[in-house]
Amino acid sequence: MGARSSGAESMEPRALLLTQKPEPMALFAFFQTILLLVSLSLRTCQSEVLSEPLPLTPESLDVSINSAQRCLHLQWRVHSLAYHQELKMVFQIEISRINTSNVIWVDYYSTTVKWNQVLHWSWESELPLECATHFVRIRSRVDDARVPEPRFWSNWSSWKEVNEQNSLGHKASSVFPVDKLVEEGSNVTICYISRSHQNNVSCYLDGVRMHVEQLDPNVSAFHVNNVAFVRETGTNIFCEMDPKDDAGTVLFVSKVLEEPKDFSCETQDFKTLHCTWDPGSDTSLVRKQPYQSYTLFESFSGEKRLCEHKNWCDWQIAQDSQEMYNFTLVAENYLRKRSVNILFNLTHRVRPMTPKVFFKNISATNATMTWRVHSTGNHRTLLCQIELHGEGKVIQHNASIKVNGEYLLSELEPDTQYMARVHCGDANHFWKWSEWSGENFTTLEAAPSEAPDVWRDVKSELGNRTVTLFWKPLSKSHANGKIRFYNVIVENLDKPSELEPVPIPAPANHTKLALDQCSYRIHVTANNSVGTSPASVIVISGDPGNQVEEERVNVTADGFSLSWKPQSGDVTGYVVEWCDRPQDGSCDLQWENLGPNTTSTVISSDAFRPGVRYNFRIYGISTKRIAYLLEQKTGYSQELAPLVNPQVVMSNLTSHSFTLSWKDYPTETQRSFIRGYHVYLKPKEGQCHPGFEKAALSDNSVCCKYKIDKPEQKTFVVENLQPESIYEFFVTPFTSVGEGPLDAFTKVTTPDEHSHLLIRIILPTVFCVVLIMIVCYLNSQWMKEKCYPDIPDPYKSSVLSLIKSKENPHLTIMSVKDCIPDAIEVINKPEGSKIQFSGTRNSLTETEITKPAYLYLLPAEKNYSGPGPCICFENFTYNQAASNSGSCGHVPVPPTAPSQRGLLTSLENLLKALEKNYMNSQGEIPAGETTLNYVSQLASPMSGDKDSLPTDPPVPALCSEYKMQMAIPLGLASPPLSENSSVSSVTLLDQGDHHH
Amino acid sequence: MLACLCTVLWHLPAVPALNRTGDPGPGPSIQKTYDLTRYLEHQLRSLAGTYLNYLGPPFNEPDFNPPRLGAETLPRATVNLDVWQNLSDKLRLTQNYEAYSHLLCYLRGLNRQAATAELRRSLAHFCTSLQGLLGSIAGVMAALGYPLPQPLPGTEPTWSPDPAHSDFLQKMDDFWLLKELQTWLWRSAKDFNRLKKKMQPPAAAVTLRLEAHGF
Repeated sequence: MGARSSGAESMEPRALLLTQKPEPMALFAFFQTILLLVSLSLRTCQSEVLSEPLPLTPESLDVSINSAQRCLHLQWRVHSLAYHQELKMVFQIEISRINTSNVIWVDYYSTTVKWNQVLHWSWESELPLECATHFVRIRSRVDDARVPEPRFWSNWSSWKEVNEQNSLGHKASSVFPVDKLVEEGSNVTICYISRSHQNNVSCYLDGVRMHVEQLDPNVSAFHVNNVAFVRETGTNIFCEMDPKDDAGTVLFVSKVLEEPKDFSCETQDFKTLHCTWDPGSDTSLVRKQPYQSYTLFESFSGEKRLCEHKNWCDWQIAQDSQEMYNFTLVAENYLRKRSVNILFNLTHRVRPMTPKVFFKNISATNATMTWRVHSTGNHRTLLCQIELHGEGKVIQHNASIKVNGEYLLSELEPDTQYMARVHCGDANHFWKWSEWSGENFTTLEAAPSEAPDVWRDVKSELGNRTVTLFWKPLSKSHANGKIRFYNVIVENLDKPSELEPVPIPAPANHTKLALDQCSYRIHVTANNSVGTSPASVIVISGDPGNQVEEERVNVTADGFSLSWKPQSGDVTGYVVEWCDRPQDGSCDLQWENLGPNTTSTVISSDAFRPGVRYNFRIYGISTKRIAYLLEQKTGYSQELAPLVNPQVVMSNLTSHSFTLSWKDYPTETQRSFIRGYHVYLKPKEGQCHPGFEKAALSDNSVCCKYKIDKPEQKTFVVENLQPESIYEFFVTPFTSVGEGPLDAFTKVTTPDEHSHLLIRIILPTVFCVVLIMIVCYLNSQWMKEKCYPDIPDPYKSSVLSLIKSKENPHLTIMSVKDCIPDAIEVINKPEGSKIQFSGTRNSLTETEITKPAYLYLLPAEKNYSGPGPCICFENFTYNQAASNSGSCGHVPVPPTAPSQRGLLTSLENLLKALEKNYMNSQGEIPAGETTLNYVSQLASPMSGDKDSLPTDPPVPALCSEYKMQMAIPLGLASPPLSENSSVSSVTLLDQGDHHH
Repeated sequence: MLACLCTVLWHLPAVPALNRTGDPGPGPSIQKTYDLTRYLEHQLRSLAGTYLNYLGPPFNEPDFNPPRLGAETLPRATVNLDVWQNLSDKLRLTQNYEAYSHLLCYLRGLNRQAATAELRRSLAHFCTSLQGLLGSIAGVMAALGYPLPQPLPGTEPTWSPDPAHSDFLQKMDDFWLLKELQTWLWRSAKDFNRLKKKMQPPAAAVTLRLEAHGF
C-alpha cells in the first residue's frame, strides 16, 4: 500500500495534533475567505512578496478508482491562487475505510502549485477496493518561504466516499480481487463479500483453508504472503458460509520472468545474424497471460525486431557494412521486463557453414578426403579439424584452408569401414566451430597377409588313414578382406604326382582327407577376392608315431599348466592339442602353436567345465613339418566327487569268505581321478574284521571300512566270516574330493559248514532214484509180467476150444453166476499181523498170513441149477479179514436145508458182521488184532469185462452178493510202493477218507 | 393329427417372430446406441477426472457442488420421472439429439481453450466419439421414420468465454458442462434401454394346440 503523486515526493507524516484544527465553523470560514480575497487583491497590486500567510483550501476534489490496480486517484485544484502565481504548498490527505473515523492512511504531498493547476495524487490499497467503502479528504498549507510564519492549515475538504461494492451487481456474493495476476512471491489480500450477514465463513486457497478476518458483517478477508505458482490455470480461491452462498475467484500466479541467459549472435554468411538465448521459465497462464515476448533492439541502427520464437531470432545484416552491433534483448510479460545486452564486432562472430565432404582415391590403405566450406566472405582463413573413426580408435588431424580442403588419410587397414568428419572455425578470430560434417567409407581388400593356422587329426583304420585338417579363421587384420575359400594341396612325398588344389569354400574350418600309408605334405592357403595368403605346410608322416605314457597335469587358477621336456635338434615349434568338449563326444579339437624355445604353457578355455577330464597332447614339430607326439597329459580343471559306484559282483561264497569284484568305469564318466576304493562292511556284534577300521557314514551309521589304495585293484576277498551269518557290504571309489554316493548295502548270508556235504550226497541219490524209475518205466511190461501178471480169463482161454474140438463138443465153461457157493472163506489174520506206522516213514508190512479160515455155504441140491461146482478165486487185491466178534471165525453152519432164503440170511448175517467190524474200524484199531476187512468180489456175470461199471442198480444175485467193500487207495494196493507214496496214502486213511 | 403338426411346422418360418431373414428393424441400432452411451460414459469418467484436475481444487473435489450460475444455457438432462415416462419415442429421441448437438459444440469450444496438448487430444477423441453417438441417434430416428430436428439459423451454440465472466465462473461453466454431459449419458442409457425393451419383438413362443380326437 502506498501513495503516488504527480511531480513531487510525498512528505513524511507530521504530528497531526499540531496541524489539525477543529471543524470549521461557518462564521470563521466566512471571515477567512474574505481575508484571503483581500490579501490576494492586495498582492496583485503590490509586490510579489507576501507579507502574511493565507490558507488556501483544496477544492474540486475528485476521486477515481482503478479496481484492477487497487488504486485511488485524487485530483483537485487550489482556486485561491492568483493568476500566474506559484506557491509551494503541502497537502495532507486522509483515507478512511468502512467509516470516516477509521483512518487507515495519512499522507502529505508537497508541491508547487500554479494558478488553476489540477493536482494529482494516487494511493494503492492492499485490500481490493471492492471489499470496502473508502473515504478521502484533503487539506493544504502554504509552505513557501515567501510567506511568513505562522502558516495555518486550511480547512479539510469534505469526505469523498469511494464505494466500489456496487460492482457486486446482481450476484449474491463475490470474492475479490477477480482474476488477479500477481508474480510468484507477492502478498495478496483477498476479501469475500456477501449481501447477507456472514456466519461460519470458510475460505480455501487451492483446497487449503485460510484464516479469515471479518471486516464487517458482510465482508471477510484474508491475507496470503509469498504466493506460489501452482498451475497454468491459476490458483482457485473458494469461500462458503451459512447460509449457503458460495463464491470464488482465480488468483493467477505467474512465475517470475527471468533474464534471458546465454544471449549471443553469430553469422555464417554475413547476411544474417542468428541470435540465440535461453529463455528460462515459462510465465504463461491459461486465459490470462501469454508466453513472454522477446524483442531485439540494435542501438547503432536504432532498429527493433519482435522475435517470433522463444529462444532465437534472426537479424538481417544491412548492406552498409556495419561492423559493430549493440544488441539489447528485452523479455517482457504483463508484470515486468528483463533485458540483456551484447556489443560485438561482426567479424568476431563468424561461425563457418557446415562443410561438404567427399572421398576420392580410396585404396586398401589410403583415402583422400576433400571438403568445401561455402562462402564466409572475403576468403577468410579457416582452421579445420579432421577426425578419423575406425577400429574403435579416433585419430585427429588439423588443416588450414581457404574454401576447399583436402587431406590424405593414410595407414588405413584394408577392408575396413571408417568414418571421417571435419569441422572448421575462423582462424583469425575464432568464435565457434561449424557443425561436424562426415561420411563413412570402406577401404578396399588386400591379399591375406598370413598363412592360416592349420592342425590335423589322424585316425588309422585298416591300413588307411583319415586325416582331418583343421584351420583357424584368419583375424580381420590378417584376412584383409572376406575369405572366400581355402585351397588344400596334398603332395605325396613317396610317389611324386601332380598337385591338384582342392578349394574348400569359406567359412568351413576343416576338411577330411583319406590317405594311405605314404607320407604326405599338405599345403593350405586362404584366399579372398584379391589374392592368396602364404601357405601353411604340415606333413603327415607314414610312420604311425610313438606311444607315450599319460601323465597328470597341474591345474592352477589360470588354467592347465603344461610343461614338457625340451627337445634337442630340429624342433621348429610345439603344438598342444586338446578337446574342448570331450564329455559329449564332439571333441571340438583345439590347438595352440608354441615357439621352439617354449617348454611350458597354460591352457585355459571358457569351455572347460568342472568334473570333465581333459587330455592334452604335446607335439614337437620338426623342420620337415612332421608332428610327433612328445607327451600326453590329463587332468581336471576341477575335480568333483564321483556320482556313481561300481557294479560289484559277489562270488566264491563260502561259510567263511566271499569275493567282491567290480569293473573299471570309463574315464570319460569319471569326474575326478579315482585314488582307490572303500569297502564298507557292516560289523557283526560291533567288531570289525582285521584290516577294517570303524568309519561313520554320511547317514551317521557306523560300519567297518577297508581302504584299497590301488585304483587298479578291482577285487577284494572278505574273510574271517562266520557260517550261517548275514553280512552287508558296499563298495565306493574315493578321490581327492571325496568318495562316491552312499548306496544301499548288499546282503549276503554265509552258508552252513556241512551243507555242501549234504549236497554231495543228496544229489547223487536223487540221480540214482530217477535213473531207476526211468529204467522201471522202460521195462514196465516186463515188471508187470513178473510182479503182477493179469488174471487169466477162462473165457478167453484157447484150451477150451482145444478140448471142445477133440473130446467133448458139449463141454462148456462154467459160469460163475451159475455157481452156488457152498463156503465163504474168511482169511483170519493171526495175532502177529500188524500195520506199522512209524513217523513219516511208515511201511505197511504184512508180516504173516496164517491159514485162512473158510465159511462153507452148502448149496441146496434141489434149487441148484448151476452147471457145476463153484470155483473160488482169491483176489489179492483185497484183504479179507474176519470180524473179531467171535462169530467170525470159521463159522459152523447148521446143516439145514439150504434155501435161497437161508442163503440170503447167511449173507445178511455175514454183512452185519462186516458192518459191525467196519464200524469198529472207524474207531481206533488196536494194532495186532485186526486190520481192515475186505470181501472179495468175484467176477460179475453181468459184465464180460471186470473193469466195466455196472449199469443197473445192484440187485441181490447169486455169486455177487457183496453189499459192501472198502477199497484201499491205489497206492496201498499197488505192489511197487514207494516210501513216500505209502506215507501219503496212510495219511489219507488216517484222516478218515473212506470210499464206499 | 400328424398332418396338423406338419402344417404348423411348414408355416413356422412365416411366423414373424421366428423369421430372422427379414428386416431386423431398429432393434440392433438401438442396442448399438445404448452400448455407445455406456462406452462414452466410461470414457467421460476418465476425461472428466483429467480435466477437473487441470482446473484444480475445488473443482476436482468429489463433493463440490457449485451453483449453476453461467450454465443455464446447457440442455438439462434432469426431468420429472412422470414426464420422462410419458415421453413419446419421437420426443425422447429428439431431446437426445438436440442435447448432444449442443453439448458437442460446447465441448469443441472447451477443447480449443485447453492448454495442454494431451488434454486437447483426449477432448478431441471424446468429441469424435460423441459425434458417433449423434450419428447413431440420427440412425435410430431415421429407422423409426422420425425427422431430424433442424437447428435454427444463427443459433449455433458456442462455448466461448464471456468477457463479463470471471475465470472462476468460466471454470464453473466447464465443470457444469462435464457434469451435464455425464447426466445426459446416464439418461440416454435409460432412454435407449427403454426404447430397446419397447421395440423388442414378443417372445418367440409357439403354442401348438393338438385336439385329441378320439383319444
